[in-house]
Amino acid sequence: MRLTDEAARALAARAVSMTAADEAEAYVTSNDAALTRFAGNRIHQNVAEEDTTVSVRAVIGQRTGVAGTNRLDDAALLACCEAAVAAARVAPADDGFPGLPEPAVVEYADRVCPATRAFDAEARARAAASIIEQSSSRGLSAAGTVGRSDYTVAIANSRGVDAAMGVTSLKATVLSSGTDGGNGWASWLGCDASAFAPAALGDEAATIAERSANPGSLDAGVYAVVLAPEAVSDLLDFLGYLGFGAQAVDEKSSFIAGHIGEKLLSERITLTENALGTETVGLTFDFEGSPKRRVPLVEAGVVRGPVTDSYWAAKLGVPNTGHALPAPNPYGPLPLNLELAAGDTRVDEMIAGVKRGLYVTRFHYVNVEDPVRVVLTGMTRDGTFMIEDGRLTKPVKNVRFTQSVVDALNDVEAVGDRRALIGPEEGGANLTPALLIAKWAVTGQTR
Amino acid sequence: MKRLVSVALDAAALAGASYADARVTLTSEERISVRTGRVEAVERSESLGIGVRVIANGAWGFASTSTLTDDAIAVCARQAVAIARASAITAAAPVRLAPVGVFNDTWRGPCEVDPFTVPLEEKLALLVAADEGLRTQDVVTVTNASLGFVRVDKVFGSSEGSMIEQSYTESSAGIVAYALGDGEVLPRSYPNSHGGQAVQGGWEAILALDLVGNAPRVAEEAAALVSAMPCPSTQTTVIIDGSQIALQVHESIGHPTELDRVLGDEAAFAGTSFVKLEDLDTLAYGSKHVSVVSDATVRGSLGSFGYDDEGVPAQRDYIIREGLFTGFQSSRESAPAVGRTSNGCARADGWNRIPLVRMTTLSLEPGAWSFDDLIADTDEGIYLETNNSWSIDDRRLNFQFACEIGWEIKGGKLGRMIKNPNYTGITPKFWGSCDAVCSADHWRVWGIPNCGNGEPMQVAHVAHGGTPARFRDVQVGVGR
Repeated sequence: MRLTDEAARALAARAVSMTAADEAEAYVTSNDAALTRFAGNRIHQNVAEEDTTVSVRAVIGQRTGVAGTNRLDDAALLACCEAAVAAARVAPADDGFPGLPEPAVVEYADRVCPATRAFDAEARARAAASIIEQSSSRGLSAAGTVGRSDYTVAIANSRGVDAAMGVTSLKATVLSSGTDGGNGWASWLGCDASAFAPAALGDEAATIAERSANPGSLDAGVYAVVLAPEAVSDLLDFLGYLGFGAQAVDEKSSFIAGHIGEKLLSERITLTENALGTETVGLTFDFEGSPKRRVPLVEAGVVRGPVTDSYWAAKLGVPNTGHALPAPNPYGPLPLNLELAAGDTRVDEMIAGVKRGLYVTRFHYVNVEDPVRVVLTGMTRDGTFMIEDGRLTKPVKNVRFTQSVVDALNDVEAVGDRRALIGPEEGGANLTPALLIAKWAVTGQTR
Repeated sequence: MKRLVSVALDAAALAGASYADARVTLTSEERISVRTGRVEAVERSESLGIGVRVIANGAWGFASTSTLTDDAIAVCARQAVAIARASAITAAAPVRLAPVGVFNDTWRGPCEVDPFTVPLEEKLALLVAADEGLRTQDVVTVTNASLGFVRVDKVFGSSEGSMIEQSYTESSAGIVAYALGDGEVLPRSYPNSHGGQAVQGGWEAILALDLVGNAPRVAEEAAALVSAMPCPSTQTTVIIDGSQIALQVHESIGHPTELDRVLGDEAAFAGTSFVKLEDLDTLAYGSKHVSVVSDATVRGSLGSFGYDDEGVPAQRDYIIREGLFTGFQSSRESAPAVGRTSNGCARADGWNRIPLVRMTTLSLEPGAWSFDDLIADTDEGIYLETNNSWSIDDRRLNFQFACEIGWEIKGGKLGRMIKNPNYTGITPKFWGSCDAVCSADHWRVWGIPNCGNGEPMQVAHVAHGGTPARFRDVQVGVGR
């Protein structure tokens, strides 16, 4: 059973008190999650999980060690604390370690919704049935998920950090497929399950699937491209991961290293890390219990940032923005709630402005070829269309791209007027509009 | 553990399950990492819990909990049955499972020296020395040396009467040097990228890698990449090293022949497959030089076990024989779709996940060539080593891989070093272009501990035997 905020907070405090070290930090996460999967117009997997874990970071001088367990009896918890201390005793000292962070005021958001917490197996099954009906009634096949997440995180440390917060969210996805090569995709993510309209989601995917039937071929080349929010979100994930963390900047693998304050992207691009936004999901403090700050990353094309945690803030001599991941963390601090500012162009207006190009619903299996210029390769899927003379004309088979995101975001010609929340239900999500990009490198096509 | 499994099975039966299985799993892990002279991680963790999977009203339900009292387990089992009944709201035909024998058995993986008993100081000393060995070139600005250990103890029981106890230890290690060029970062790894090599075994497997002895060479190669020639954009012959062959097998043979994927179960997330049910015993997957076998009995491999997570015994089964597609990787639920029994590929990532069809040790069988003879037999082409990036479409046809390093082949000899080489292709055409595979002398099993699939995400530990192989008319230098 998921712990309440108070119980999680008490467990974290108990672990800190049991840790015989110079300093100690405990991170508790208590989770009650359920996911209903469907494929071939029937539910084929339906799972639920309850778990509570404690992770302890012990500090001796400038040596640190971490241990974790999900066994919560006194003996197991003590053994976990002792394992963290034992690791800290033998770890070489890190001269750059500044100590655990001091407490700071966290701006909490109310992200627990009773309707989501009550979205049980039968409610998920009925939602899945509504989604499926939109495909099955048109001779299509639906696959996807209806998942509920309900978790509490508490962080405490020996300097007085004491943060706890619960989050609920519902996420649904649907892929609608026809026998003639047509595929369509739609997704929904939000804190409040009562705002979820499964039939409308199923209709959106089925409509794209019908329209994308019998896709044709496309030659490799450079095209104008309209990217739907789901596709843009993939690019933002990699841009945040590779470009806007303090560790990447310090190690000079980020495109902003040595260029902060310079205009590297289109003036149409304004990107903010904002876990405090009213439309997003996730925590408003990081995994050290420090408050997450709103951080401008790109302002009208001028790059700012990066995000930091206590370690990298001290090392770089800049403020802690509150973006630590759970210790030990090989990636450094990362932005998890990216917001791309909306523009004033409707998607149909973007399409109307393209002589010959592509419309992409979403990407698949994107990976990094060059971290510095954020060169990614990946495929399109579930609704790729030609744009000819300002109109969506015919569907095309999925195409491969090999493209620098930095270059692409310098070639933005229009930004959509509506944003969608895209991402995993836990940890954060991106709030993003569609984009019209002048040059996008298509480097291959599937059969 | 066995008693807890029995509590779950009894409760599921009382609640009305027509079939039930339960797994109690304890996973213990240790991870140590040194990055550019700084200790990045010294971490130990453990996770213990039970998962109960049932069929009720002809549909699946699964619930899991880390609270291991009898009452909590009974609640968990009843929740699984309630979930199954909810699943039946949309269920079509009732779930049908391929038959399997009843087993009461114990299986243990190999481990000579338990890595959890090796002092942390000794492990840290090894990593610090390896990391120092990497930091011997001016242009190498970031380095990493890491160790990882996993021990799994689990008990599986089913309402059909099986009760199986298994335990195994995994050890992994790797080093990587990042050279900073003009606006580019160039990695060079040993013995493989993405965390190194991973095996079932103990501390002896780590010592055999000689991380410290290899570190200076790795650093030198990273530094040399800075001034290496870029990959030409052309269609040419490629010879691919065994570790990259392992990933090539994984992505373009392993995933497309998972039977649950072929049946559409993973369509919305990982995708489907270009391979169809009717392709069995008819599809020309590759050339006559290509034979691929799924084998969960390879001792010391990350993909080995005594029984899968449905209680099906480990097996060796051809997926491709001399180019012809001859078998899917399957589970008890999927195998009846092709009129076969399960070949034991249902694996779960821990107590809180259901088993899915996953790879075991899926290997390209060795041919007859020596590596030197293969290079000498190649007039012009590129030799590629060590994966750097991977991507493939949702039907597993169009792939693109980047490697850390390459060398020109001219007149039967290795020539200039190439940085950032990549190549692309279409799966059956690519495997059809394979005209030579190196011998067992060059064959090695590579562990891949990061195979993601399923929702909620599951990370499987799988492995692939690979040896260098040659492919004709391959597009290289994409986007270069």
